[in-house]
Amino acid sequence: MTHLLAARGLIKLEITRALRNRKFLFFSVIYPSVLFVIVSGTQGAGQVPETGLSVPAFMMVSMASFGALTAVLMGNSERIAKERESGWVRQLRLTALPGRGYVLAKTASAAVVGLPSVVVVFAVAAVVKGVRFEAWQWLALTGAIWAGSLCFAALGVAIGYLVSGDAVRPVTMIVYFGLSLLGGLWMPATTFPGWLRDVASWLPTHAYAALGQAIELGEAPHAGDVALLVAYFVLFTGGAAWLYRKDTMEA
Amino acid sequence: MVRMTTTTAPPATSAVAFERVSKAYDGVPAVDTLTLDLRPGETVALLGPNGAGKSTTLDLLLGLRRPDSGTVRVFGGDPRAAITAGRVGAMLQSGGLMGEVTVRELVGLACALHPRPHPVDDVLAHADLTRIAGRDVGRLSGGQEQRVRFALATAGANDLIVLDEPTTGMDVTSRQAFWATMREQADRGRAVLFATHYLEEADAIADRVLVLYRGRLLADGTAAEIKARAGARRITFDLAGIDEAVTERLRSLPFLAGLDVSGRTVRLRSGDADATVHALYGLGIYPHNLEVAGLGLEQAFVAITEAEEAKTA
Repeated sequence: MTHLLAARGLIKLEITRALRNRKFLFFSVIYPSVLFVIVSGTQGAGQVPETGLSVPAFMMVSMASFGALTAVLMGNSERIAKERESGWVRQLRLTALPGRGYVLAKTASAAVVGLPSVVVVFAVAAVVKGVRFEAWQWLALTGAIWAGSLCFAALGVAIGYLVSGDAVRPVTMIVYFGLSLLGGLWMPATTFPGWLRDVASWLPTHAYAALGQAIELGEAPHAGDVALLVAYFVLFTGGAAWLYRKDTMEA
Repeated sequence: MVRMTTTTAPPATSAVAFERVSKAYDGVPAVDTLTLDLRPGETVALLGPNGAGKSTTLDLLLGLRRPDSGTVRVFGGDPRAAITAGRVGAMLQSGGLMGEVTVRELVGLACALHPRPHPVDDVLAHADLTRIAGRDVGRLSGGQEQRVRFALATAGANDLIVLDEPTTGMDVTSRQAFWATMREQADRGRAVLFATHYLEEADAIADRVLVLYRGRLLADGTAAEIKARAGARRITFDLAGIDEAVTERLRSLPFLAGLDVSGRTVRLRSGDADATVHALYGLGIYPHNLEVAGLGLEQAFVAITEAEEAKTA
């Protein structure tokens, strides 16, 4: 907490910078909403099999999760890799900012920038597709999707410290599209063949979207999904911390 | 060593204390059993050719690398602790800058991160950045980037300022302005340590010069002492009829740091060329084709190293 306090100057500047970046805003805010309109439009207004949810409601959670994922994963991995290379990370280590402050600031600002992508998808779904929920459900959905994005923020940090140079963009893209597609964020995993559904059920993105879907059905998120997401969070955070320490030793 | 270094632990008031510090990369020593001591308020130059271990020394001082053996203390404690306490401002060549922000925003960040910040406008003015404060950091020239790094290093009240070849990429005017600012900092009682391979900079700015060569501290003294030690001038002349007696008389010349006779040609190194040449005529020796040339720093180091190796052999 004291680290976050020390890093508030950096968090502020990171947010300012992200909001100024049109490409980043397009991919994290506009793109998921547009995708939502297209996908929910082509798949009709019926039910998604085996979920008890309408296509717009189901896709709203998927695309909000996808948007938050985009903001935190892309925001962290590419920026960290680039800034390690340019020497900015090293420069920051010469300021009074505590060592972990950089990673914390990156994650906190990515989370703040990720919030609009969730809210905008919700607004588009409510206005364009007439998706309706109780007030507590909207709040719980926002909270769950936002909190769950931390898992992918940690993954972004890990990639940023693992990969460098030109490789970081393709690696991020493969992870990003792979997790989005196979986790069922773009189309319901229930439409997958059996073996692919088994794969999907073990992915963090699948558990992530399932949090929101449970809330939409008026339930609490399932313990299995939460446990899986927490396990991934621990794994990614541990990996990021190990890579961070390794990088710091040879900075 | 010009000045004897004590083997006992340095006093707790040291700004920086290295105690037999070694660091190797893949078995190649970059810093070799280095012991040095920097007192508060001192301006010290770390002088050495490329590859002498200057950057590694500064990295160790700033806690960016850990020594293989020995201890590094900054204000009596761990280097990282001194930095997170905001007591050290540093400007490294390898330090990159955050992109997609303006100069003012970046300097503002450095001020926000410092526990005892100076006003942003003052920092900008001191680094001569006021005119370009609104410019994107990604669109600066090399010299302007150096000034931004300097601003980041001086965003708050530090007790020690560390600079790695700070004037690289600056023109003569900016260079002079830079050192004027630096002297101001030193006058306010801050310790300043800067690495350079310009003998003139060390000469003009530093109270004390540490000469580093192949990771070892070769000399520690004032600039004048170092130059005398290195034999900063080379004197070359021809002389007819050189014999043992003449060579013996040449050896008695003042400020002589090296003597080499081959055929008719005599090569001398001297810490004070004026005095040596004056004495040469005084000995009744009348040289032909007399030439006096400055010795490059690289050569000066070779001279000191040779002398050092001859001593230990």
